[in-house]
Amino acid sequence: MTWTAKLVSGLCLAAAIVLFGLLGPLLTGDPATIRDVGLTPPGGEHLLGTTLTGQDVLAQLAHATRGSLWIGLLVGVLATVLSGLFGIVGAYAGGVADEVFSLFSNVVLVIPGLPLVIVVAGFVPAERRGTWTIALVLAFTGWAAAARVLRAQTLSLRNRDYVAAARVSGEKTWRVICVEILPNLLPVVASQFVFAVVLAILSEAGLSFLGLGAADSSTLGTMLYYAQNGFALQREAWWWFVPPGLVIALFGGALALVNFGIDEIVNPRLRDRGRRERDVVAVRAQVAPAEPDAVLTVRNLDVVYRTARPVHAVKNVSLTLRRGEVLGLAGESGCGKTTLAYAVNRLHRPPAEVTSGSVALEDVDVLALGPEELRRFRWVRLSMVFQGAMNSLNPVTPIRAQLQDVLRTHRPDLSASGRELRCAEVLRLVGVDPARLGAYPHELSGGMRQRVMIAMALLLDPQVMIMDEPTTALDVLVQREILNEIKRLRDELGFAVVFITHDLPLLLELADRIAVMRDGEVVEHATAEELYLRPRHPYTRELLASFPSLTGERGALLR
Amino acid sequence: MTTLEARGLTKRFHRTCAVDDVSFTLAPGRTVALVGGSGSGKSTVARMIARLIRPTSGEIALTGQDGRPVPRRAHRDHVQMIFQDPFASLNPFHTVEHHLARPLRLHGRSATEVPELLERVSLTADLARRRPHELSGGQRQRVAIARALAPGAKVIIADEPVSMLDVSVRLGVLKLLARLQREEDLAVLYITHDLATARHFSDEVLVMHRGRIVERGPSDDVLTRPRDPYTRLLAAAAPDPEARFRQGGKP
Repeated sequence: MTWTAKLVSGLCLAAAIVLFGLLGPLLTGDPATIRDVGLTPPGGEHLLGTTLTGQDVLAQLAHATRGSLWIGLLVGVLATVLSGLFGIVGAYAGGVADEVFSLFSNVVLVIPGLPLVIVVAGFVPAERRGTWTIALVLAFTGWAAAARVLRAQTLSLRNRDYVAAARVSGEKTWRVICVEILPNLLPVVASQFVFAVVLAILSEAGLSFLGLGAADSSTLGTMLYYAQNGFALQREAWWWFVPPGLVIALFGGALALVNFGIDEIVNPRLRDRGRRERDVVAVRAQVAPAEPDAVLTVRNLDVVYRTARPVHAVKNVSLTLRRGEVLGLAGESGCGKTTLAYAVNRLHRPPAEVTSGSVALEDVDVLALGPEELRRFRWVRLSMVFQGAMNSLNPVTPIRAQLQDVLRTHRPDLSASGRELRCAEVLRLVGVDPARLGAYPHELSGGMRQRVMIAMALLLDPQVMIMDEPTTALDVLVQREILNEIKRLRDELGFAVVFITHDLPLLLELADRIAVMRDGEVVEHATAEELYLRPRHPYTRELLASFPSLTGERGALLR
Repeated sequence: MTTLEARGLTKRFHRTCAVDDVSFTLAPGRTVALVGGSGSGKSTVARMIARLIRPTSGEIALTGQDGRPVPRRAHRDHVQMIFQDPFASLNPFHTVEHHLARPLRLHGRSATEVPELLERVSLTADLARRRPHELSGGQRQRVAIARALAPGAKVIIADEPVSMLDVSVRLGVLKLLARLQREEDLAVLYITHDLATARHFSDEVLVMHRGRIVERGPSDDVLTRPRDPYTRLLAAAAPDPEARFRQGGKP
């Protein structure tokens, strides 16, 4: 578990208030004792002054804090149990149970909370309106939103393979829920619980302030109620109403900090460091004169992730991509191939940092571009097809709008009909019927979506296209079609491609030259034929041997 | 020794037929490969055999060592499954120990067998205390294999067990599966879209397309001399560098 500053300060503040609520009443006197020292300002015998009837404010505050915390705890636990029951169990069970449970939580959710609380609290006669009644009412109106969140989370967790694996190994349903699913929901449950506690304390204060609170309890709300009735504001007796208000605000603030802290633990990207937006280039190298015919030249590029333990993800990489060439970049997960592609495109984000080297596209020094130049450069001269690209289309707009967006941004003077023509043209190029322009991504197959992504990368006639694992998620037949398409486009349009993949046989078939990467370094860089027939580096040989061939002797591989 | 026989397995989701009349036999010491593209229904078959989903019609019959049918409630003692993605099939919250001790206990064995189990999949016993995120993809998949072996299962369904792994560790995991299969006389259903490993790893191949089995036979025959047009398409689609350099020309 990571302790963040927010979590620590939130927990400390909350702990201080809880301690005050627990120990305060033991140390201060009876809060109800009436003395003839009405409205004494703070100081002397009464540290926080007295009320209109001479009761000690500090003693009242201690008891009221205890009362409010008790209500908050009760409601927090009850609401969390209810939301867990309806959210988690319903979602896991599925079918009718899920529909009924989620219908019920939706109905409860749309019932306006506070008015219902007022009606119910008002309906129960004052003398029978105890702490438990109020807690039950607040819990009933407060669990539904959390249940919806938990339901959504559970729906995604129940389809995880580890849940299926637990079922296959014979676990009972309740154990699957409690042991496999619940622990993974803990951060969500914890933050929902904290939220429920804050909400309960605030609502109870509101109710008590309106005189609808529990008859037998003293809480921060009842303190405010008596202060209001005693005209504390008009009498300028600030010491009577400021302390309870402050305790509520501080406790709410503390728990909000705890919630932020939990969020940061669950999602480390929320931590401040990662939120710096700009890419960092910590180097200004001279761009080396490019070889004739070279489109993209990468020289001695280094990329470092500046984390607690810095990771040198790309080490001294030099590559040259010539006009009309397919350069294959082969390597396994974590070898730095995607980091390299991002750095070439200036898409790397902190903590990644380019620490040395140069990237040149013909005459453009890519690492020296300013933000506006970079915007005009990206996609126009160098475009990219991302890993898992087929899932990066926006699901709620038709592909026409997504293609036209690119043109609208980069070619603002193009007319509407010109845009439409260009979009139809690129779709034809990648072998998709232009009639599908109006289709939404979910109406297209995986292969079609991948073609649309390639079409999008083609829109502005870039000189270089970087493709990061463009066929990995597709099955062999679709992969074959896309590969044929890339070969054809390369021949027709003459652009150059950097093709990143772990699939060496695929590169051997497609690429002109291949760079093999391992641990951030290019260990071998040769023509495809050279690499296949005469691999020099042991790692290349290992990779080549990892792919069994369809022909050749059967079974020899597995002995 | 357990033999599993699937007869006329069919699964309909609403109106689409995901699996249509699929029959096969898994016998001890033999590996059957189920090959097909995405959406062909091969994972649905795996899930029906593992009793994660119920077939619309058809039956799955298990015959135990004594030649008598295995009762339905003992199904999980005999049939276990290895999932495709080792990053998703281990619970990030629990240790390796938990993942292996639970199935051991559930099937009447002792959790003290965990180190031995890890050894069988060529992992060291000190891995037991670690959590999934501390392991590499290959190690995770070995843990998943150990979990499948824990109940003492004799029929193993391996649903694309290596397709999410780095290429350099794939062969290692496949060799491990092949060794376990030989040593323990397991019946294995190997589901894959990779024809080459199917050929090297299995005795019999079933080619699935749109829920139906379009071709079946000994793996060498089916994959080197495919008769069905779909199988031919699949075989031709796999990248083949040899062809390019044999001709000595550009593609």
